[in-house]
Amino acid sequence: MVDSFLAHGTEAGGSAPSATIRVQGLHKQYGAVKALCGIDFSVSPGEIFGLIGPDGAGKTTTFQILAGVMEASSGEVSVLGQPPREARLNLGYLTQAFSLYADLSILENLRYQAGLRKVPQADFRDRATELLARMGLSQFPNRLARQLSGGMKQKLALCCALIAQPRLLLLDEPTTGVDPVSRREFWDLLAGVAADGVTVVAATPYLDEAERCNRIALIYDGKIQQIGTLAELQADLALHRIEVRADALGETEAVLQGAVSRASSALVDLQSFGDRLDILTPNVAQAKSEILQLVDQQKLAIPRLEANEPTLENVFVSHLRQQGADPIYRAFPFYRKPKALSTEAAAVAISADRLQKCFGEFQAVKDVTLAVRYGEIYGLLGANGAGKTTTIKMLCGLLPATQGGMSLAGETQNLHRAEVRSRLGYMSQKFTLYDDLTIRQNLEFYCGVYSIPQKLHREKIDWVLETCGLVGRENQMTGSLPGGWKQRVAFGASVMHEPDILFLDEPTSGVDPLARRQFWRLIRDFARQGTAVLVTTHYLEEAENCNRLAFMVAGEIVAEGSPTQIKAAQPGQLIELVTAHTQRASDLLRQQVEPWRVSIFGDRLHLVLDCPEQELGPLIQSLQGAQIEIRAQRPLPFTLEDAFIGTVQRAEEVSP
Amino acid sequence: MNWPMTRQTNRQTNRPTSRILSQARKELVQFSRDRLTVALALILPLGMLLIYGYAIRLEAKNIPLSVQDLDRSPLSRSYVERLFATNQFIPAPLIDSSPLSSLDHGLAKATVVIPPHFSREVAEGGSQVQILVDGTDVNNARVIQNSIRGVTNFFIQSLPNSVRPEGIRARVRIWFNPGRQESLYIVPGIFGVVLWVFPSMLSAIALVREKEQGTAIQVYASDLSSTEWLLGKGLAYWLVAVAEAAVVMGVSGLLFGLRLQTGPFPLLLGTGIYLAAAVSFGLFVGARTGNQNGAVQGTAIVGFLTSFLLSGFIYRLENIPFPLSLISNIIPARYYILLTRDAFVRGAGWAGIWFVLPILALQGFVLFKLASKIMQSMQLSE
Repeated sequence: MVDSFLAHGTEAGGSAPSATIRVQGLHKQYGAVKALCGIDFSVSPGEIFGLIGPDGAGKTTTFQILAGVMEASSGEVSVLGQPPREARLNLGYLTQAFSLYADLSILENLRYQAGLRKVPQADFRDRATELLARMGLSQFPNRLARQLSGGMKQKLALCCALIAQPRLLLLDEPTTGVDPVSRREFWDLLAGVAADGVTVVAATPYLDEAERCNRIALIYDGKIQQIGTLAELQADLALHRIEVRADALGETEAVLQGAVSRASSALVDLQSFGDRLDILTPNVAQAKSEILQLVDQQKLAIPRLEANEPTLENVFVSHLRQQGADPIYRAFPFYRKPKALSTEAAAVAISADRLQKCFGEFQAVKDVTLAVRYGEIYGLLGANGAGKTTTIKMLCGLLPATQGGMSLAGETQNLHRAEVRSRLGYMSQKFTLYDDLTIRQNLEFYCGVYSIPQKLHREKIDWVLETCGLVGRENQMTGSLPGGWKQRVAFGASVMHEPDILFLDEPTSGVDPLARRQFWRLIRDFARQGTAVLVTTHYLEEAENCNRLAFMVAGEIVAEGSPTQIKAAQPGQLIELVTAHTQRASDLLRQQVEPWRVSIFGDRLHLVLDCPEQELGPLIQSLQGAQIEIRAQRPLPFTLEDAFIGTVQRAEEVSP
Repeated sequence: MNWPMTRQTNRQTNRPTSRILSQARKELVQFSRDRLTVALALILPLGMLLIYGYAIRLEAKNIPLSVQDLDRSPLSRSYVERLFATNQFIPAPLIDSSPLSSLDHGLAKATVVIPPHFSREVAEGGSQVQILVDGTDVNNARVIQNSIRGVTNFFIQSLPNSVRPEGIRARVRIWFNPGRQESLYIVPGIFGVVLWVFPSMLSAIALVREKEQGTAIQVYASDLSSTEWLLGKGLAYWLVAVAEAAVVMGVSGLLFGLRLQTGPFPLLLGTGIYLAAAVSFGLFVGARTGNQNGAVQGTAIVGFLTSFLLSGFIYRLENIPFPLSLISNIIPARYYILLTRDAFVRGAGWAGIWFVLPILALQGFVLFKLASKIMQSMQLSE
């Protein structure tokens, strides 16, 4: 098998004449733990291949074996027709932590990697200049890596991986923790690299990114569960998605949830978002009539229904559920009586009035005005450095505001007081648990921090353990918990005192879709009990769970409203084009419209036009003029990410 | 937009030394950017030099001594004067006219009792003086005993010929360190400790940090060999160590008056080899451990204990009991200290120390080979 691949390129016939990667029966075992149990796949040259799966599914192990930095226990792996270790100089490998030297400058990092990979000195200068220009890093070659933003670090790491002109790029979660604008730029760059003939294999926790791959493999429990193009995976699911929007969303959800659990129903799955419900069904017509019938029986207002394709998340979650991977859900047992929402519905829990914060000359937050009511989930979205974390810190009293007024739980003065703070809960980006304490010791510590009476400690801790499904494991070291569990414990710790107001700063970064979905269910439970929730996130699919959203750009709120309102407020139209030469078409279009309006999704192009009636015709003519055949075109609804990027880019155009 | 995809076919033309040098250059840049490490690399060794250089004094001085003179004659008074004239003793009060009280109270370490008819008995040919010594500190007790004995003998010799007993006179001349300056003995020993512990610690941290921060994966993903990698790192930290050695030795010259007693070549060559061995030891520890804590502990504890206790820095090697004494034979500091003491105190040159260089070179080579062997696979450990 391997022998025939050593002669790749000259081999005649065969179904895949020169696969860049060929993996067969790959196993990997760490002591007693089986990380990979028999993986088979192959990747063709020039392909962008996506690997998705929950934490601990075996993604990183696969990459380490492909990159030749770890031995497989058994199985055949051939990379570029060679064993991985021999192919090392022809591949670029990007890890989650970017593998940059923080104390070296951009140019020094590049030069070091070039030296490692035997790039001749004469070629280095030209290539470095070209790569840096392409990534938009040429202005400051002497800036130290640690002074770069997450997005810039990631581009530099890509430069380092590309400096030796590899034929294969291995990217292990390259965009974790990077903001949406940088993520989209990064994937545009990757599409360009792939068009130059470099094969790309990428793992990502962001399912919207996975949609930009030519083919996607879903890996779970050390096995590849599904593999195919996005369209194939969607077709394989054999389900359709219906978006349900209604005024009395809570009641509608309760009614439909009842139907989902009945076997005879056409409704298979229900997922609740901030202002809509998603229903999965094998038969759209039947499901629509069933929904209308159920709603009518309960005398509820008639909902607006919209049929759509299932998302990749639907594919992912449905498949994992069949595998029994879905953790059992337990509701939070509340000790406090729910707030009477009808009377206090209008009561504002968190408010800010023209809030400002300056650090020296730098204005981090400018005129932020917002109000969050009890029982509401309010999302604050923005790129890195947009001022989200500064705003949340001012609102929960950790940082004094330079100017402007605010109120917390009805108080406007001395927000730092213990009485005010005892009504707040705060969970930050890094789960603030001590890895080297046991779970119980961590929870006991937080009982102390939130001054919960001694006699209630046991009760409260048992309550968190119960909810996290960790009863009997409370003496385990916290560090040994997987990310999703740890996050639930951290959440439990921050709400043990049942706060009226909850601040969540990037609570779900690096958590897989199943755990994330559970987590949002928990947050919604809290909101229904009357807690006001202010959450910041990078993850735009997840922002759909918020009742209301605000987009922040450069310290200012540039758009606010429910997810549906924000998407509807986007001017213009999103158009999907299928062409014969995706990359050429993209390059051509980018010369005619602003670059952010064009992005490559696998074999399609997404194009954002403000006035499609007038703009689309000439663009298509110019493509046809360049001998690019257009195979299909159709309008698509905006996703929140499209809305976000559009809003940010337009805001930056106004004030560059 | 596209870059030329012509693949380089002349990759192999790069000499391996250029990869080692580029590795070393990167390490030095990284080192110089990290101000804390630079400070640690230069200030900690100096601090240790000052503390050890000033604090360690093995010579017994200023020992409190009380005297009960029951004779009170000119002769007994001149004997007492002679005792204190050594500068080794300071007078301590006699309590309750009892020779033991001042010992019991801890005011004196020794008491001299001169009998009532001392001067008459001396004139008649012999007398006895009682000396009571506090034996808690065994070592010091012996020093006190010897030095009072010495003073007494000297006193007897200075008496008129008529009473002096006949015997052999030993004329002692101190070779090598005529002023018996103790710092000349201690400070070259400190070089052995400082120039072992800090170079090894820095290189161990540099290696482990790459493993911890995941940058090592990029190195594993290239085809750099473990020898090339470690040589590059080692070279960088050897240069840092040379700078440390220059600073430490320079400051010792200023503060403790250390001067080269012989040609500089044995010292320069020996120090270079010793530093290389220290850096190799650091790389060995770094190859074995996975976190910075382990690297620091490993180099500091092992380095300190061996180069301090088993090297002859303070305690005589001949006093180390049997199985431990074998270990001392493989401690590089033991050999290096012979060399520094020769350079700064003895000045005897190659004759007594030539064997130090091949031994240190061999030890450094073995340590480096071991480190390189451990890292040989250049893969993630499981």
